[in-house]
Formats: sequence, C-alpha cells, structure tokens
Amino acid sequence: MIELKAVSKVFGQKIALDELHLTINDGQIFGLLGPNGAGKTTLIRILTQILEPSKGTVYFKGAPLNFSDVKAFGYLPEERGLYKEMKVLDHLLFLGRLRGMDYKSAKLSANHWMDKFDVSSWSNKRINTLSKGMAQKVQFMGSLIHNPEVIILDEPLSGFDPLNIQMILDEIKELKKRGKTVIFSTHNMSSVDDFCDEVAIVNHGTLVIHEKVTSLKENYRTGDFKLRFKGNQIALANALWTSFELLDCRELNQGQFEARIRSRGGQKFNDVFNELSGAIALEAMEEQLPTMQDVFLKLVTNEK
Amino acid sequence: MKNSWFIALRELNERLSNRSFRWMLFIGPLLVLLAVFVLVETSQQGVESMKVLVADPANILDGKITAHPSQQLEYDFYNEYLDHEVFKNDARFNGYDALIEVNHKVLDNKTVRIFYREQPSFTLKTTMRFDLEGRVEEVMLDQFSTMNSNEFRKIKQKLNVRFMDVDDPLNTSEEETAWVGYSLGYLMLFFVGFFGMNITRSINREKTNRISEVLLSSVRPNELMMGKILGNLLSSLLQLIFWIFLIGIGLWAFKEFFFQDYFIPDYLNQTQVDEQQMSSLGMKNTFQENMSLELLYYRINYPFVMLNFGCFFLGTYWVYSSLFTVLGALSGDESDGQQFSLPIWIFIFLGIYAGYYAMSYPNSEWTTFFSYFPWTSGMVAMVKICSGVSTIAYSLLFLAFAVQLCVGTLLVFMAGKVFKQGILSNNHRVSFKLLRSWLRKN
Repeated sequence: MIELKAVSKVFGQKIALDELHLTINDGQIFGLLGPNGAGKTTLIRILTQILEPSKGTVYFKGAPLNFSDVKAFGYLPEERGLYKEMKVLDHLLFLGRLRGMDYKSAKLSANHWMDKFDVSSWSNKRINTLSKGMAQKVQFMGSLIHNPEVIILDEPLSGFDPLNIQMILDEIKELKKRGKTVIFSTHNMSSVDDFCDEVAIVNHGTLVIHEKVTSLKENYRTGDFKLRFKGNQIALANALWTSFELLDCRELNQGQFEARIRSRGGQKFNDVFNELSGAIALEAMEEQLPTMQDVFLKLVTNEK
Repeated sequence: MKNSWFIALRELNERLSNRSFRWMLFIGPLLVLLAVFVLVETSQQGVESMKVLVADPANILDGKITAHPSQQLEYDFYNEYLDHEVFKNDARFNGYDALIEVNHKVLDNKTVRIFYREQPSFTLKTTMRFDLEGRVEEVMLDQFSTMNSNEFRKIKQKLNVRFMDVDDPLNTSEEETAWVGYSLGYLMLFFVGFFGMNITRSINREKTNRISEVLLSSVRPNELMMGKILGNLLSSLLQLIFWIFLIGIGLWAFKEFFFQDYFIPDYLNQTQVDEQQMSSLGMKNTFQENMSLELLYYRINYPFVMLNFGCFFLGTYWVYSSLFTVLGALSGDESDGQQFSLPIWIFIFLGIYAGYYAMSYPNSEWTTFFSYFPWTSGMVAMVKICSGVSTIAYSLLFLAFAVQLCVGTLLVFMAGKVFKQGILSNNHRVSFKLLRSWLRKN
C-alpha cells in the first residue's frame, strides 16, 4: 500500500502539490487523472523518488518511502527516452541491472519480455533502427523487466497504434491478475472506464476526488436512458409526461425509433420500464451511466 | 556505487562503439610516432662541412688533431684564450663555423666544449668527437704513460664533448627534458579537455532524448553523475594506455629497425674504425650525438615519469570533470553546452601557458602559484618532474596533487547539487541566477 500524507511540493513561487493525502491499495489499477499542469507528473516523480516532497511523507508498505524501495517500482515516464545507439537487449539488460538484477536474471527476464512482445528477432538491432511502435514496446518492457510490485505508467498509450494499445492494455490486465499495483496516468478516459478500479483526480495541486470508478459513476449518474421502440414519437411524448425529458429521438427504420430521455425524479430502470412499456413497444432500454470523460469534465469544470 | 559502475561501463561501451574513438586509438599514436620520426630525422640534419677553429691556449694538442682529416672538416689552431662571446662577435673569426675550446686542464677534467654557429650534421658531430678523442688519447699516452695504446684504453676516462649553440650556450639538457614534460602536460590537458567535453555532451544527449528520467527512477543523481565521470575517465584512460602502449612499441621498432644507422654510421666504416675501437675510446655509440634520440632513449626515466603522469592525470581530470558536469547539467541544450565550454577551455589554455611559463621562469612567484593552482598544477608538475626535482620539491608537488584532489572533491560535491536540479531541466536559459539558485537548493 502506498500512502501520501500531506505531501506538498513547491518550485520557487509555484505550488505544484498542496497538502495531498492519498491512499493507493495493493493489486489494483489506479487512475491518476487531471488536466495538464495539475501536478500529476510531480506526484509521480515523488513516488519514484526523482523529486523529494517539500513537506509531508510518502509511505510504502507502512514505512516511509526510501531509496531502496525504487527497485519495487517500475516507471514509464511520459517523456520517454532510450539510448538510441544501444542494442535492444543491451538496453534492457542495462535497465535491469540498474534496478538490482544480476546479469543472468536480467537476461532471462529481457528474453521473456521480448518473446512476449514479439521483438526477439530485434534483440541485436540498434534502437535507432526500430520503428516508433517497436521502440515504444522496448520502453514499456524496460519498465517491467525487474518484475516490480508497483508499475507507474505516465500516459502509457500516447503515440501507440491501436494494435499496440490493445497489447499494452492486455498486459496491464495481466499485471493486475498477478497482483501488481498499476498507477495509470492518462488523458485517455475510455481506458480509465475500462480498466481502473479507483481514480484520483488532481487539479491545481490538490486532490479533487478519490473514489472507486463504479461508485464515482453511480454518484454522478444523470438519469439518462437510451431506448429503442416501435410506434410513434407522439405516443412516446405522451408517455413521458412530466416525469421525463426527451433529449433526442431519431427514426432508425420505418416505425422504429431510438430516443434518449432523462428522468426528472430519480426514477430507476424498472420505473421507467413500467411507465413506458404500456405506451410504446420497447425493444431495448439501458441506463446511460456517465463516462469518466463526463465525470472528469464535470469535476474539473466545477473546480474552476 | 554499483550503479555508478554500470553507468560508467555503459558510457565506456558507447565510446568504444564510436568509430572516431576507435580510429583515434591508432591514428593518435601513429601521428605521435610520425612526429618523433620527423624530430629524429631533422635532428641529424645540419651543416655538412665546417671550418673549425681550435682554441688551445696551452698548446696541448700541439697544432695537430688527426692524421686522416675528413674532407668535410678543416681545423685551424689558435693558441690564445678565446671566449665564445669574442668568437661570436669578433669579425676576425667570422670565417669559422665552430670553435673547439680546449681548456688548459683538459687532460684532468676531460671536458671539451664545441660552440657552433649552425647545428653541425650528425656525421660531422661524430667525426669531431672522434678526432678529439683520438688526439687527447695520443697526448696522454705521450705525456703520462709508458703503456701502449691498447693497455691505456682499458683504464682511460671518456672525454666529455659538449656541443653548444654559440648564440644560446645555456640551452642545457634540463630544458630539453622539460620540453618532454611540457609535451606530456599538453597531452594530459588535451585528453582532459577532449574527454571532459564528452561528459557535457553525454549529459545533454540524455536530457534531449529524455532517458534521464528513466535513469533517475533507478539511481540517485550523484550516482548518475559519478557514473558519467568514471565512464569518461575509463574511456580516456583506455585511449591513453593504448597510445602509450603503441608509442612504446613504435619507439622500440624505430630503435631496432629504423635508427640502427645512428649506432654505426657510414663514416666509421670509411675510416675503418670498428665498434670495439669506438667503445674503447669511451664512446658508447654515436647515438649520443643525436640529441632527440638521446633524449628519447636515455635521458627520460619513463617508469618514474609515467607514474607521476598517471597521478597528475587523475588529479587534473578530477578538477576539470566537475566543471564539465556542471556545464552539462546547467545547459538547456547541446549548443549551450558547446558555447559555454569556453571558460573551461580558457582554463585549459592557461594550463598550457603555465607549462611554458614554468619552463622559462622555473623559480618565479607565478610559477609557484601555477604549481598549486589545481587547473594548472598537473602541467607544471610534469615540466618540473621531467626537468629533475629535489626530494623537497617533489614532496611539494604531491602537496599540489592533494590540493587538486581536495578542490576536485569540493567541486564534484557542488556539481552534484547543480546536476540534481539541472538533469531534468531542458530548453531553459542559462544564467548565473539559475546556477546560484540550484546551488542553494538541497
């Protein structure tokens, strides 16, 4: 477990983090969200001990974080770097050895990851001869080579093509299955929807919210429903009456419509179904929970 | 420190994979050997024939010098005392190319000085020396001994013949060896400057390709910095050792295969003097007449000089590397690193000047200052060590070395502070204000 207690970081006159309290439990995928300049990268650099907090303490497994803990962390920074003149295998071995591995286990691990990401045939190629996607895989492997307990990924999906994004996301799921903690900073909200167990939204150096994704969506539900029906729009409008607001409606086929409605009184799925099923022939209906994009925008806008 | 070692090895591997580094391993020593060859060859160039005045006020040689005079040498005798300054300036002696000064105690002190206006050729020097040796031997046999010449040669002392430029008679052997020290100091500063710039470049490259952040999530900034300093030291030492090794082999090969003629020159065969006879005259070989060869093969105590060169190389690298590290951390991009290296190069040029100054004015106050100033002390030490130092002066040189180590350590500590702040910063404007603020931060 990682625990931040009243962590602040000041650069000259600028407060990058202000008295931040945060707990990240083991074995989960933790989304760290926030607009540009919110303090996410500063927070990550404090966790990876690249920066020291101006005030406050970071605890790892109940004890104050110290430099020997870096071996338990794998880090893929937003601005990624590689030694372009080095060969793929040499680069991975170098990073592995810096993180405390002996040569033999570093080589074993490097070969494992190269096989997994299908780059074994490139092991003796110089990095500057690789395609961008291939180089990004090498960077990702570099953060995992020493089998860390906590993996911090700062914008891991940026610049990847869809195939590689899927490969990375699958690997993140796999890491979670193996009990690893993944801290995931991203602007890609759909990936947060799909993967994160908990999220923290940071803005202006302060914690805006920290919740489970499911409860966050639940708390910020808008009462919007999407339905497909047969009949006519007038019948729907009559059925909605004063309890619902019709947001939009479009005809899919002859006599078949798709509409979005919003409940005004906090009605649940069954209430909506019961009220509408007598007036129109409902074919499908689902509640539209807010996306993380919606929640994020709402929270950050409210902050402003 | 384990991580510093991995970083150092990576730096070394990067240098080794660099084509220009590999080329320099061979081209550098070849250029030095070429320079040595040219130096030796030019040393034997000179005037091919001479008219020589033998000033013999005591008439010891009795107006004779050899029964088989060389066609290139014409001797005249002058039976009065003649100072080399008078010989140089008096119009009466303008027709002579050289003055042999036979002092009245020559049979006791076994010393003859030859003042030349222009450097005689290697062959002429050897001939003059040989003629003088032979004549002095005859005189001694006539005056003091009932022995035959073979018996006498077994007990006789070697005649010390010193060739001097009449315009610069004080050009002593110490100055020649000091030039060797100066050359070594120059080589030291060249290596320190060249490989020091690699530290700056390496830091800038890591800032540009953003690898620094990955590294700093695994190692402390000080470990990264020390790794860079150590890595570049290893690559410079590798280059240096390779140079020393190849130059050593080259000098040996020169001696064995190219400079053999200097031991038994053609004229000896012409005059039918064999090597044994020459040796019996007290002449080990004619090698000694070639100043450069003598300097290279006999007058330099290589183990002693190289041991000290190693020490001062490390000390000098240590004080300069911290400056190159600060420069790398401070600069916003690679061009900053190059532009702002100028102040460091000024220190290097000051070192080169200090070496020259120490040769010209070995006992001046400024030389004393340069010998303790950490950025120039390595160069001055090499000049002093090669010139020959007393035990006390030598221990003072080690004080200078200790100053280098202390100042270097302090600077590396300060460089660590700048490095810690600067390694993640790029595209910023370099300023003293920024440097001051980074130095203040913990």
